Amino acid sequence: MTKIPVEQKVLSENARVADGLRSKLQTSGTLSLNFIGSPGAGKTAFLERTLRMLSLRTQAAVLTGDLQTENDAKRLARYGYPVRQITTVGACHLDARMVEKHLEGWDLNGLDVLFIENVGNLVCPTSYDLGEDAKVVVLSVAEGEDKPLKYPGIFRKAELMILNKIDLLPYVPFKPELAREYARQIHPEIEIIETSPITGAGFDRWLSWLTTRMETKKASVAQYAEAV
Amino acid sequence: MHEMGIASSILEAVRKELLLYPQYRAAKVQVRIGEFAGVDQNSLQFCFDAIVKDSPFAPLELGIEMSSGDELDLSFIEMDDGKKETEKEIEAATLV
Repeated sequence: MTKIPVEQKVLSENARVADGLRSKLQTSGTLSLNFIGSPGAGKTAFLERTLRMLSLRTQAAVLTGDLQTENDAKRLARYGYPVRQITTVGACHLDARMVEKHLEGWDLNGLDVLFIENVGNLVCPTSYDLGEDAKVVVLSVAEGEDKPLKYPGIFRKAELMILNKIDLLPYVPFKPELAREYARQIHPEIEIIETSPITGAGFDRWLSWLTTRMETKKASVAQYAEAV
Repeated sequence: MHEMGIASSILEAVRKELLLYPQYRAAKVQVRIGEFAGVDQNSLQFCFDAIVKDSPFAPLELGIEMSSGDELDLSFIEMDDGKKETEKEIEAATLV
């Protein structure tokens, strides 16, 4: 019996494509965010409100993933930004190749931010790097406070947690402080912003987070250009 | 349920490795899964066994070691000096 060490990622092909995407988005200075949450967490509504409130100077584009239908792309396209639907026809997550394919033909130069709405699922999308700068996990108050404990993978990998649909708080038994505590048990540094796409609550904080991240990305490109 | 895709990726890695060592056949492939990798061990084992069964790689054992992070890595492959798969057979293995 001969033992041959094979130290590589199981998803090494996905990692290779994701690195290529990351390098393209670094050249164009585009911030890329991968939104992950359960079906019904309000990811699309959150992005709709975001597109509505974005400064006119910001160039944004959206890729939205679902198993079937173009419904989300239709909703998101109403705000005047380029949107493409990725239908996975059964697959429970987006992978880097799907993102690469659906970015074809888009000029990334001048694009400030790319929003990727993943397939509604808290488990599988966690494993697939899409070349993003950050993962954002969306949890709604219509779910259980203990989602971070039940699905620790995504809460550990996400830099930001959007606690969504807070306009429903008067009608549901959800305790936001408990959800925060559980999320921080899994990931002490996670940032948490409470939002409501219906009332717009929390969007000033979210947009300021977004602006800071876009500026950081642009600055990193400038530094890179100077270095070269 | 992305474990089927992961099982296919593991087999694909074994196939590539065997091309480098045509004198061997693979007896066992070991992976390391972090507790935060979002991969269910039982489900992965089930999917792996299901796709190996009717492939030219059978019998091939999957070893899983758990770790504390979020990694999903191949660790090693144990090669058998005995019966050798023909490369043709291996290449014919249709993997998604």
